[in-house]
Amino acid sequence: MSRLDARRNREAELLKIRTRRHFFSDCGVGLGAMALATLMGGRSGAATAKNPMAPRAGHYAPRARHVIFLFMAGGPSQLDLFLPRPELARRHGEPLPASLLAGKRFAFMDSFAKEPPRLLASKRRFAQHGQSGAWVSECLPHLARVVDDLTFIHSMHTEPINHAPAKLFTNTGSTQFGRPSMGAWVTYGLGSESSDLPGFVVLQSGPRGPRGGSVLWGSGFLPTAYQGVPFRNGPSPIVDLATPAGISAESQRDVLRTIQDLNRTRLDVTGDPEIATRIAAYEMAYRMQTSAPELMDLTGESAATLALYGAEPGQPSFAVNCLLARRLVERGVRFIQLYHTNWDHHGGPGEDLDESLDAVCRDVDRASAALITDLKARGLLDETLVIWGGEFGRTPMGEIRERTGRNHHVQAYTMWLAGGGVKPGQSIGETDEFGFEVVADPVHVHDLQATILHLLGLDHLRLTYHVQGRDFRLTDVGGRVITKLLA
Amino acid sequence: MIGPRFLGFLTLAAAPWGWLKGDEVDYLRDVKPILARHCVACHGVERPRGGLRLDTGVAVLRGGDAGPVVVAGDPESSELILAVRGEGSGERMPLKRPPLVESEIEVLRRWIAAGAEVPDDETPSEPGGVHWAFVAPKRPAVPEVSHSDRVVNPIDAFVEVELERGNLTPNPEAERSTLIRRLSLDLIGLPPTPAETAAFVADERPDAYERLVDRLLASPHYGERWARLWLDMARYADSHGYSIDGPRSIWPYRDWVIRALNGDMPFDAFTIDQLAGDLRPEPTLDQRIATGFHRNTPTNMEGGIDKEQFRVESVVDRVNTTATVWLGLTLGCAQCHDHKYDPLSMRDYYALFAFFNSSDEPEMAVAGPEAVAQRDQIREQIADYLESIEGDAQLRELQSAWERGLTPAERQALTEEVRKALDVPLDRRDPIANRPAFAAFVEQARLPELVEHQRRIAALRKQEPRLATTLVVRERAERRETRILLGGDFTRPGEPIEPGVPAVLPPLESSACAAGPTRMDLACWLVDRRNPLTARVLVNRLWQTFFGRGLVETDADFGTQGTPPSHPELLDWLAVELMDRQWSLKSLQRLIVGSAAYRRSSSVRADLLDRDPENRWLARQARIRLDAELIRDSALAVSGRLTRRIGGPPVFPPQPEGILNLGQNRREWVADTGPDRDRRGLYIHIWRATPHPLLTVFDAPDPARTCTRRVRSNTPLQALLLLNDEAFVECARSLAERTLAESHASDTARLDSVFARVLSRAATDRERLRLLDLLEAERCRAGEIEAWTSIARVLLNLDEFITRE
Repeated sequence: MSRLDARRNREAELLKIRTRRHFFSDCGVGLGAMALATLMGGRSGAATAKNPMAPRAGHYAPRARHVIFLFMAGGPSQLDLFLPRPELARRHGEPLPASLLAGKRFAFMDSFAKEPPRLLASKRRFAQHGQSGAWVSECLPHLARVVDDLTFIHSMHTEPINHAPAKLFTNTGSTQFGRPSMGAWVTYGLGSESSDLPGFVVLQSGPRGPRGGSVLWGSGFLPTAYQGVPFRNGPSPIVDLATPAGISAESQRDVLRTIQDLNRTRLDVTGDPEIATRIAAYEMAYRMQTSAPELMDLTGESAATLALYGAEPGQPSFAVNCLLARRLVERGVRFIQLYHTNWDHHGGPGEDLDESLDAVCRDVDRASAALITDLKARGLLDETLVIWGGEFGRTPMGEIRERTGRNHHVQAYTMWLAGGGVKPGQSIGETDEFGFEVVADPVHVHDLQATILHLLGLDHLRLTYHVQGRDFRLTDVGGRVITKLLA
Repeated sequence: MIGPRFLGFLTLAAAPWGWLKGDEVDYLRDVKPILARHCVACHGVERPRGGLRLDTGVAVLRGGDAGPVVVAGDPESSELILAVRGEGSGERMPLKRPPLVESEIEVLRRWIAAGAEVPDDETPSEPGGVHWAFVAPKRPAVPEVSHSDRVVNPIDAFVEVELERGNLTPNPEAERSTLIRRLSLDLIGLPPTPAETAAFVADERPDAYERLVDRLLASPHYGERWARLWLDMARYADSHGYSIDGPRSIWPYRDWVIRALNGDMPFDAFTIDQLAGDLRPEPTLDQRIATGFHRNTPTNMEGGIDKEQFRVESVVDRVNTTATVWLGLTLGCAQCHDHKYDPLSMRDYYALFAFFNSSDEPEMAVAGPEAVAQRDQIREQIADYLESIEGDAQLRELQSAWERGLTPAERQALTEEVRKALDVPLDRRDPIANRPAFAAFVEQARLPELVEHQRRIAALRKQEPRLATTLVVRERAERRETRILLGGDFTRPGEPIEPGVPAVLPPLESSACAAGPTRMDLACWLVDRRNPLTARVLVNRLWQTFFGRGLVETDADFGTQGTPPSHPELLDWLAVELMDRQWSLKSLQRLIVGSAAYRRSSSVRADLLDRDPENRWLARQARIRLDAELIRDSALAVSGRLTRRIGGPPVFPPQPEGILNLGQNRREWVADTGPDRDRRGLYIHIWRATPHPLLTVFDAPDPARTCTRRVRSNTPLQALLLLNDEAFVECARSLAERTLAESHASDTARLDSVFARVLSRAATDRERLRLLDLLEAERCRAGEIEAWTSIARVLLNLDEFITRE
């Protein structure tokens, strides 16, 4: 297909979308809203508040309107990517000083009794990059080129030492089940600016899904309308989006119109405003049937853009998901979370810091950098907060397994942020000579969460929900905004 | 706080203080609970701050050291009002506690504006001690009412009193067709058949309604419907949760709940079996299965975990769940510190913890001793066979190669026991430890050298009886010592503590067990008549199911922060009635659905919407969106597809592709093709990490924690599911075929038939015309079956179809 043809097709498609919307604005929303207004006798508030995703103001002016959280599932090794520690090379093979180990808990700790953990030098070469002089290893050459747009936090620390609880903690601020995820809190607080896509979208790539599954994007005790909607690969990302096989578009449209008409009749009889909400939900569902495939269709993206990300249309990948994340932001979606597996490099087969780390870095390096470049070029980086990191980092000590690997480490690890409201080109926090413990500017997971909310214009102390006899918040009983991070 | 501002769109949430516009404020009913809740902790009889007591009306009017706080008739000059608004002479009250909500301040304001009248013979409120829910209920007298014609049974008298006080006229009784649909959906979770509806509508006997209720209560589907509600509380699922989310077999517990409810097992026995069935003298198989209630906690099977950490987490969950389900208390707060609002201490928490701290968690074969012996004998033969070949040097070499060649995914698929064995290299592995690994190798590796062995083992396996297993609780011979965990942290044990119950509640009877109180004592205490909470909490949940909200709206918080009951006397009357009826749930349900209040039309009258938008005073019934499982059950039922078999292992109805990819371990969802494809929703296999979309989209709870009340959302994803999901399209096609197979004189007659089948009522002219229009249009485009499928799709998508009206 020539470029011109592609363009014509796209215009025709857009026209079709507009026509369908027009149909609904005349026949659907119009009547529904009229019926509602009559019914409610001018009572405002409850009726309009019926759309849980209606955009609303936060506590103060936001610095960012969207979040893209690139979740590196498994725990990337900061010591092989972002944090050179020459002392590890000098003392490679020596046991970690016992004083550091005292009172700490680790995964697979029962093995420590047999064999004390020993320091492990990184095999990776590091260099400083950009004006900011940030250290990035050879594993991430593309990301190295955009370091001046990023802010590294080398002093992250968290609590749980195992994957599923730690992922839950990073996402919900608690290791207890039943708490809402960050995306749910944010859409509860702010709604979404997209009227025909979900407000909180989850994308995933890599050899396996993230450990923990649905609780990571669940709504906990918040209404289920705020739970993240996982998108599948392919043209029909949302479950049950496509018109069923064997049913024509005309039939689908007529069926829908009849449903709406009969629901309106029932609304008149029963007077239950809930039916008006359902009518509106069917209208949005119908719009989604167009907007979601349109979102997933990358044919309108230029060859240069596809190359920038390393995305191949039709081939599910982290790169495609990054590109989709940008497209979701363009369409007003509030919170987008990408999970990519697998960063759990213990040193077993397929989980080592050699080829396995190379492979996962190849998966994410180009696309992560491209996302920053592309958002910036389109003027979207200012209003989009991008976050990169996992549920914890990895130990300065090696593990005794077949190949080279490191254990889970919660005392100090690295994440980076970019975009809306973040002061770029900085490195926050310092660790000791081994990268074992934070020695300056510690940033707890709750601090990160408080900061994310802050950038979105939400006060983490005031974004609360009353349940089980008390007010709950994302940051539990902690959280301080990281002021150094703010632009 | 954002909270209250957004409450409007939550179906569940209500104004925290529901009261009638234009109604007079009564001190005892309206003002006193607010003061008790927020103020009396510091302004009670003991050392009142600032000399100000707020525990009686007279004391409120008297004021404190700084003078009066109420100027009758002038709220804006009353320090009480100014203080709670933060506009007073001192700090905002209550000090360092959440502020009063606007509606509460409004109650205080109006009471003062109206003259601040108080009774002079009042009992002072005390913080905690006499919070209403901590005093055992006594049977109140049934009140006299003016409109005795609106009273069918005593429930109605309690409801009527409030309606008359608020001068609200209740809706009339619903149509008979609505009533049978309501009763069927509420009691058995399935819509009535057209024949059942027609028969009931035509039944002129005076006790037609009661007969219908009895028929439904006796239906075997009753247990399915009510089991699902209990399974929400039990956090039932068919997998372990956390990262690996492996499958588990605990469905015999689910089936036990169905059987118990169908048999109307008294709730006290139902409680004892689940919490302490293993401690009954010579427990039956059923009583041991019942202990599965507390085995529904998630289990972390991730590598590298500290098992003690997750064992403690399970016990914590058991304590919290027990407190929520039976006591309606938010005890979880006291895991890390004394409860901030209720009189529950950390000591109370760990005393309860101690009851649950000495259990083992075995898997049990659901079978008699003979079958178990037969199974074990075959297993022994297999073990003997394996032992006879384990010395073979060639096999050993092959095993070593097989182990080295395992991919991470293959390794993950092995049992934990085998993985553990594999952690030690074969040449250093203990021969006993190697046995599971050797067995896995011999049975699973695909090698020509193994074919003969595999054939022999398979022959033995064929004879092995397939016994269902289930997870149960069993008390350890040696008790674990329980210590208070400082900050709730299992690595910081504090002082030791004995099993016991919260000090604010009646004490435990002395235990029959010499070693101290057991779970059996706890279970008996929960259902003792002196326990003030269990019966109230239970009847409130029954009420909530029938009316969409409880008499106490915060059904899981009967503490001081919960909402006070709308009809406190009714709540107590029902609680006492339940206990007097020997805890028979069916008997109490019969009573509730027999009331005029239950039978009312659910039409939302404009005047009621204005004066009592939350329907707190029950002038109408509620329109309630059906639970996830019931939506599909109803579609299966009306389309004639439903397989009515009760119980058995979980089933795999169709689900959209890609759902199971969202968990750590990719699994296949192979949809059943036989009758199991169309079983009721409560039998769907629940993977905790990757639940079926029907469940998540229609608000089925996350089984990671106990859920006592489902949220009801109303979203576009629900519309997509009903419109496009394969399962619903299948139902529509079947419904169309079924409709076409009937003989009818005209399209209209056919249409009326399918309409009545789906919605249990006749179509109006307008509805009929609209559907005939669609039928015509579809016929022009496609065939007869397609046209009727479209009609069926419309009907299955209607709000009315998925709503209990």
